[in-house]
Amino acid sequence: MGIAFDVAPDRPENIDTILNGLDRYNPETTAVFQEYVAQQCENQTYDCYANLALLKSYQFNPHLTRDEATTNILVKALTVFPSPDFPLCLSLLPPYVLATTKTTTQSGPPAAGSLAEAVQHLTTLHTQLINADYAAFWSTLDSDDLYADLVADVQGFEEMMRVRIAVVVSQCMQEVDRSVLESWLNLTGAKFDGFVKEVCGWKMNEQGKVAIPLNKENEAKGTVVREDVKFEQFGRMIKRAYEVGA
Amino acid sequence: MSVRQAPKYQQNAPERTIDDDSDVEEEALANDYQEQVSYEDGGDYDLDRTGSAGGGPQDLHAQLVAAAQPLEYGASIELKIQSYDSYCALFHYILNSEGPVDIEVPSYYWAWDVIDEFIYQFNSFCAYRQRLAHTQPADKEDDISILRENPNTWGCYSVLNVLYSLIQRSQISEQLAAKKRGEDSALYAGEYGSRNLYQMLGYFSIIGLLRVHCLLGDFSLALKTLDDIELNKRAMFARVMAANFTTYYYVGFSYMMMHRYADALRAFNHILIYVSRTKNFQKNAQFDSITKKNDQMYALVAICVAFYPQRLDDTIHTALREKYGEQLTRMQRGGPEALPIFEELFRAACPKFISPTAPDFDNPQLNVDPVEHHLAIFMEEVKNNMFSPTVRSYLKLYTTMDLKKLAGFLEVDAETLRSWLLVNKQRSRQMRHSEGGLLEGDVVNSSDLDYAMQADLIHVSEAKVGRRLVDWYLRNLARTY
Repeated sequence: MGIAFDVAPDRPENIDTILNGLDRYNPETTAVFQEYVAQQCENQTYDCYANLALLKSYQFNPHLTRDEATTNILVKALTVFPSPDFPLCLSLLPPYVLATTKTTTQSGPPAAGSLAEAVQHLTTLHTQLINADYAAFWSTLDSDDLYADLVADVQGFEEMMRVRIAVVVSQCMQEVDRSVLESWLNLTGAKFDGFVKEVCGWKMNEQGKVAIPLNKENEAKGTVVREDVKFEQFGRMIKRAYEVGA
Repeated sequence: MSVRQAPKYQQNAPERTIDDDSDVEEEALANDYQEQVSYEDGGDYDLDRTGSAGGGPQDLHAQLVAAAQPLEYGASIELKIQSYDSYCALFHYILNSEGPVDIEVPSYYWAWDVIDEFIYQFNSFCAYRQRLAHTQPADKEDDISILRENPNTWGCYSVLNVLYSLIQRSQISEQLAAKKRGEDSALYAGEYGSRNLYQMLGYFSIIGLLRVHCLLGDFSLALKTLDDIELNKRAMFARVMAANFTTYYYVGFSYMMMHRYADALRAFNHILIYVSRTKNFQKNAQFDSITKKNDQMYALVAICVAFYPQRLDDTIHTALREKYGEQLTRMQRGGPEALPIFEELFRAACPKFISPTAPDFDNPQLNVDPVEHHLAIFMEEVKNNMFSPTVRSYLKLYTTMDLKKLAGFLEVDAETLRSWLLVNKQRSRQMRHSEGGLLEGDVVNSSDLDYAMQADLIHVSEAKVGRRLVDWYLRNLARTY
């Protein structure tokens, strides 16, 4: 059984109470949620459903909006790609932040330091991630100080991204060239070896390839879907058999 | 036009499967239809609409009637604001009188119509206000100044407040939860909830919330709202055609925006099959207006099927081919040429999204149409999936394949193809609902094609569907009786 979208294992009780009651609309609870977001950044937990409630609160009360909390939520959502969390967060942001030159009279890139600029930068990262263009993701991340600022609050961001990428790789591959994986994880040499061996538990083989143990997702075994036969389907036949017998 | 003008159609027919006895079914439908006609002719609340609803409880009946009536097309802004005020007065009276208000409401339809019309007016008011703020047409300056002065009219908070208050007063959530546990819901109804008026308004307010949350772009909360309602044909909303239709549309749409295409398709299929089976009994003027929403849902089905290839019910499949055959083929082929089709269909089929706050009249460029916003987000998803059909169509032909060779066929470099393969693999894993709340589900492989890469060698595997013998066996056996 998967985990329902509205469930987070580490959610404190007071947050849960707010989320399930009408207090989630109370502007006074934004402070509580902001605190909770900061906590998630700090101790590497994640609660999308609660974060969406904060974004909704901002949506209703734009004057309360704290850009920092918004971008932190988006960065946290990046760490769980390719789940729909990031787009779901975007849906609750004010429409102008994504507006491109095509739809507005305003021309040129958004003003420096604005929320729109930050959101559009993060959207670029998200696009690269969901397109599995990991090498581009890392180089974009390094290309601009703004990125470093945006992810600074989220503890262990790079490590989490590497783990996420490794998960994707383990679902799709049985063996991967070292050079390819190096560019995807943005690690080389001893650091690369350490990550692959200790964090992922994978082995290098003689040809300079990384071998990934088989799991349910990467074995690519043909299956035959068989039909489920329920006893009830034979009900009429059995009834008939009784009648004939009598 | 919207489902709000849909036929007031009642349906109590039992749950049916494809091979049901169709005579029985049609008879049941015919009976329902009779009921519906008599309802429409009965004039239960078909009284003349009184323009001003400002009076006290004396003309309550007139107010109740007015609340369920659509505003005339092109109503002036004053009329829209006035309508808001009379809704406020009515709901205030119902919610805040001393003790429950003692009136019997005409029918289920009435309660649905009130909530439906209330939200419809809210939705169109917000859309109108946003459009004016964005374009600032010179001939509408009067309207703009009125809107500037009344930023809280049709405010989001007050609309939500009404819906939540109706739900709380009627203790409908508690009642539904009790019913789910198999207990007597009357024990949980309380002073208000035991009355028809509150019970029905509360119930349809839940559906109303689903809709409002979806319009505001909060898709997960929209689905969460339905936690207490069981989606099946015995549910109360299923008795009112328009409510039934609306519910599945918003459930399906919310699922789609959460990238759960299998679940979205299930919701759309359910209601579309239902409509196609009953349409022969709905040949009245009102049926025309449901047709538009119906077409919108087919457009959404086309989008979802393009994302998530699936065998559809024959009726749906035929209708889909008829309405969007060409678009579907192009979307299923994928690639950049398909993007405008996705965009066109999404625009045609999405709800009229709104922003919750009053627009900024001083900065027109900030008031971007929320539809554009959601479209942009959705198109990211489409672009992400753009090359999956191509990849799949090639992989189907092989059991093993060299990455570089396949890249040569596709005229892309090996690194790009490697990324496409990762993307397609991730896309094939989707959350699918099996039981419990609508937000629950399991991650399943949605594709019959699977593969894994051993460095540059792609191993392809296929999930074949075995022969279905039981049905064949039983049918032939029955013939020998």
